[in-house]
Amino acid sequence: MCWMKIFAKELKDTLRDRRTIMMMIVMPVVMIPLLITVVVKIQVSQVERAQENQLRIAFIGGAHAPELLTLFQRDDGFFIVETVPEDTAVAMTAGEELDGVVVVPESFPATIAQDRQGEIRIIFKSSEAYGVARSKLEDVIEAFSRQIVTDRIARFNLDENLFDAISIQKTDISSAQEKLAEAAGGWLPYLFVIFSFMGAMYPGLDLGAGEKERGTLETLLSSPASRLEIVVGKFLVVMLAGIATALIAMMGVYLTVQQFPEIPSDVFDIIMDMLGPKMILMIFSLLLPVTAFFAAVILGLSIYARSFKEAQSIITPLNIAIIFPAIIGTLPGIELNAKTALVPILNVSLATKDMLAGTVNPLYLTEVYASLFLLAGMSIFWCVKWFNREETLFRN
Amino acid sequence: MGEKFRNAATLTAVDGISFECAPGRVFGLLGPNGAGKTTTLRMVATMLKPSAGEISVAGFDTQAEPREVRSRIGFMTAQTALYDRLTPAEMVKYMADLYGIENDRFQKRKEELFRVLGISTFASRRIGRLSSGMKQKTSIARTLIHDPEVMVFDEPTSGLDVMTSRAIINLIRSCKDEGKTVLFSTHRMGEVKLLCDDIAIIHEGKLYFNGTLEEFEAQMTQESFEDEFIHLVGEA
Repeated sequence: MCWMKIFAKELKDTLRDRRTIMMMIVMPVVMIPLLITVVVKIQVSQVERAQENQLRIAFIGGAHAPELLTLFQRDDGFFIVETVPEDTAVAMTAGEELDGVVVVPESFPATIAQDRQGEIRIIFKSSEAYGVARSKLEDVIEAFSRQIVTDRIARFNLDENLFDAISIQKTDISSAQEKLAEAAGGWLPYLFVIFSFMGAMYPGLDLGAGEKERGTLETLLSSPASRLEIVVGKFLVVMLAGIATALIAMMGVYLTVQQFPEIPSDVFDIIMDMLGPKMILMIFSLLLPVTAFFAAVILGLSIYARSFKEAQSIITPLNIAIIFPAIIGTLPGIELNAKTALVPILNVSLATKDMLAGTVNPLYLTEVYASLFLLAGMSIFWCVKWFNREETLFRN
Repeated sequence: MGEKFRNAATLTAVDGISFECAPGRVFGLLGPNGAGKTTTLRMVATMLKPSAGEISVAGFDTQAEPREVRSRIGFMTAQTALYDRLTPAEMVKYMADLYGIENDRFQKRKEELFRVLGISTFASRRIGRLSSGMKQKTSIARTLIHDPEVMVFDEPTSGLDVMTSRAIINLIRSCKDEGKTVLFSTHRMGEVKLLCDDIAIIHEGKLYFNGTLEEFEAQMTQESFEDEFIHLVGEA
């Protein structure tokens, strides 16, 4: 039972490696919640501030639409700069001295008087303050437009429904859980897949290329342990590190959710349910073969490399190969079907999304499991064969 | 034995060499860098499979019973080949576990080795924090923990300082005194004169001489060992 001895030793050795601990525990538990919390809170407060801030605008041609000017003047959200020529106002907006410009042309009153459509121009920078200026300017002008239309309807003694032929009655039958799964279901598995890879990466590098670099590989190969036992012992540690990191990342997400008291209690309950033991067990069952695949590939490539550095340069670019299908899974419109169920990593992303929504098709899920376990089995087989090649072990 | 590596072009690292090492004697495998010494020793230790021929260690065939062979060999190179994040005690225990040594036997053997080598004072410190001398002692202990019948040393003093080299030389001598079969490779002629009973000279994978040290000295046509060695392989 040499593999158990190798497993126990490699696990002890790995847990004493600061880089692994950083990647396995500190990153997901501390960094991720901290990063998400800080970014989201800053963004929310910035949007709020932009909404609350008084906009400095130039109103050109106020005499042609005094009622509109009054609407702007009465609104606390605006500070009106009246005596500025249009060119200067546009330049000031470009230079961010002003938040926007409203231009009412001279022909506006005559056009409106003829019951035709008048034109008002607004000038703004959509790149500033989340495009708040545009929407606030539009809101006031639309209110003015509605006021004119209401006057016209009254003057011609018409029914308002004449201009509003259809009233759309919206009934959304998605459950809150489904809506949340659609929004969060994409990035949640993405996060776990990335972390299981990152968690497996450092131990994989250390137990393969690191062992070669230290010269301990010869020591190990000269012991009675067979190559298969050595691979199994090492592979299990790398896989365990990947799974542990993904589970710790789940804990990190759980802790992050607790940082947002503004989440409505019903939504909060659904999130807690999603991150409950049943769901974690289901996600774990998907992560297991994926991490086995990662562990086998990382260990195989790592043992092939001549040094730790070379292994790093071979394995790090794989991050992109992992991220790509995981990102596709977050895109709207990409669904789990007979074909996508066969694409590694993408199928994990899509299956998790459906699991979280509670709408997973058992046939596709079986397909996902079958393809993932087949992939894991093939990669482990490759890793063992690869480890048995003299050209791989003694490449240097 | 012979070994071919499949590479861009197939390289024959060892080509039809044959020798025998006896218990209680030190066998020196001599050759310049790239001669095929390491490949030969790795084949003896079952790390590499010969593409032709056969090797028997302590009565066991390396290809048919590799585990039996490995459990009877102690393999050591100039590199300490230790795990920096383990302690000497943990390192030695790990190797003992891999060799399947029972706990009572392990404790006795460990105490004896730690006492003789003076490891006890730093047995609980991480290997990464030890001096090179302490590491070398730990390396010796892990090589000897299973009391192997056959000791294989691959250029064991290469790159080591005088003090550490002396410790290795003493280790080889004590292994001989204990009746172990010692096979070691080197390109240092001084070590050969100092330690070897039997020698084999290989160059570019081929065997140029195989016999006792006395036989080698008797057939020398040059004044020194170095000159004779260069003369022998230079004729190739």
